[in-house]
Amino acid sequence: MLIVELVAQGLVQGSIYALIALGLTLVYGLLRILHVAHASLFTLGAYVGVLLANAGAGLVPAFVGAMVVAGIAGVLMYRLAYQPLLDKPPFVALIASIGLYIASEEAFRIAFGAQGLSFADPRLQGQVALGGLHFKQAELMVMAGTVVIIGILAWLQSRTRIGVACQATVTDPQMAESFGISLRQVRDINFFVGSALAGFAGVWVALLNNLVEPTMGSVPSYKALAIIVLGGLGSVPGTLAASLVLGVIEAFGTIYLGKLLDRNAIAFAFLILVLMLRPQGLFARR
Amino acid sequence: MDIRRGLPRLLVTAAVLALPVGMASAQIKIGFNVPSTGFAAADGKSALEGAKLAVAEANAAGGVAGQKLELVVYDDQASPKEAVPVATKLVEKDKVVVGVSGSYSGSTRAAASIFQRAQVPYVVAYAIHPDITLAGDYMFRVSAMGEVQGRGGAKLVQNLGKKKVVLITVKNDFGQALAAGFKEAAPKLGLEILNEYEYAMPDRQFGPLVSKVKADNPEVIYASGYYFNAGPLVSQLRAAGITVPIIGQEGYDSEKFMEIAGPASEGTLVTTSLDRDSDAPATKTFLADYRKATGMGADMVAATSYTATLVAIDGLKKTGGKGGAALRDALAAGSYDTPIGKLEFNDLHEVKKDIQVQIVKDKAFHRHSVISDPVLLAPPSKSK
Repeated sequence: MLIVELVAQGLVQGSIYALIALGLTLVYGLLRILHVAHASLFTLGAYVGVLLANAGAGLVPAFVGAMVVAGIAGVLMYRLAYQPLLDKPPFVALIASIGLYIASEEAFRIAFGAQGLSFADPRLQGQVALGGLHFKQAELMVMAGTVVIIGILAWLQSRTRIGVACQATVTDPQMAESFGISLRQVRDINFFVGSALAGFAGVWVALLNNLVEPTMGSVPSYKALAIIVLGGLGSVPGTLAASLVLGVIEAFGTIYLGKLLDRNAIAFAFLILVLMLRPQGLFARR
Repeated sequence: MDIRRGLPRLLVTAAVLALPVGMASAQIKIGFNVPSTGFAAADGKSALEGAKLAVAEANAAGGVAGQKLELVVYDDQASPKEAVPVATKLVEKDKVVVGVSGSYSGSTRAAASIFQRAQVPYVVAYAIHPDITLAGDYMFRVSAMGEVQGRGGAKLVQNLGKKKVVLITVKNDFGQALAAGFKEAAPKLGLEILNEYEYAMPDRQFGPLVSKVKADNPEVIYASGYYFNAGPLVSQLRAAGITVPIIGQEGYDSEKFMEIAGPASEGTLVTTSLDRDSDAPATKTFLADYRKATGMGADMVAATSYTATLVAIDGLKKTGGKGGAALRDALAAGSYDTPIGKLEFNDLHEVKKDIQVQIVKDKAFHRHSVISDPVLLAPPSKSK
């Protein structure tokens, strides 16, 4: 029973990792940039969600608002910070990204205070019993929400013109451009979608913890990097699988390895192990 | 040099040189290291407000020996590597006569040896690591050490009539010290520790841990952490249907804890230094003044930082604003009536005092009980 419960808790955590890491993997696939500042969009989404809900908006408008604001902020980040650096070596963009992340953390602190914000009227906190397991409503909803949103994305990517254009650009940007695909448009869309997903994850974490803080992105900022490496850099299905596997490993690790390794070290111990045995990542096709 | 042009210039130069000296001599400087940014910034804010209140009150009452007090504040981010330059700057550049720590154990430990070497007395508010007062005879601490608080927690479990405990420990100086004290006292008090889990400071989601604790089926949970860990933790324990008492410590002691955990926070017990329902005039006045000055309710960090600053000022009044060995001796000999109780330092400059147990009722901390056990709660001394 405990095992089932731990797996379930691992999947809850894994869903959140997946939502954050997907945006990162989209950006890496397209631009080969390790987008550390992605985590600040996760924080931004959480703040927008709480602020909207506390201003009287329902949960759905709070989610939509958070996703739109995070999405727009992501596109701005790309246009203002990354685009001018695209012809520089990749570490230049990485450094810019780390700087952006630190600046955003302090900006959140200055704007909203160091103590963080909570929902005045926390929702989805009720208990649900499911076959002997107890969940917070929000825990079940985050798993369902992740499945739905990833399903929609997968459908869009394979069935719409713009989705196919994105795939083509990832595979071969020059060829795609010669077929009349606008690189600029594809990049904007990618940043928007990836960032909106991070914002979506942010609101879920806000609901799960009822706490939004300036520093809430600091762990995801580097853990998501570990996940996309595990998932084979730039592979969407690989990232999904790696997120869920890591969530479950952490769930067991917290209980059985907690004294040796803290939860956030487990991801990296696992990463080192995988890179030793399978340098191309856990799920890379090769 | 033409004397008529030279003389005024000379006078101006002399005046400019004299100016800062004159201004400096009108101020007695108290150094204050505090985490204004980084993960502990919220506690830093409370600490700073507490210290500022103590200084403002002293200045309003005429200062010390006719001079105004000045609080020299630097951000140490609660990080040892930031605390070293901060302490050095306070001692070397600002030449403070006394230092006050409004910070965590890691940074305070790092700063302690610098103040000790410079022979500048250093009064520590709420950092609980044992090594701090071991740094030397210029160190003073106004709150109970972690181990002592941990022993108090074990005593509280016994007072509640419970035996089977699960420990959930935050993996830093604070959590380790509490757990050490708790585990030391537990066998003496007939408690059985079913299991102990550790988590990291940035953790906010405890799903797996909660599942395991539920399977352990304890009678009481002793969980260390800060309000930002404890709020989500308590809420998640309650959501999983765990109804046994939860005992926290000073780290929970913030209004933010109730805000985060919401209704789940009701009934949580906290061992701390500040009794909100106290009848003591010093406590009541402080609680009212703090609310007036900041618009917020005081928490443990604010109360201890206020107290540490008050103690430092009290010493300065006795020495007429002088620092060094005179101030050290004055501080050590003093007895202080503070918002966190009557304090006296022992030979290791630790205080002996009761532990206040507060309970969350209607979204606020209220008095539950007081743990008073001079043997169990004895602070370490030089002989030990």
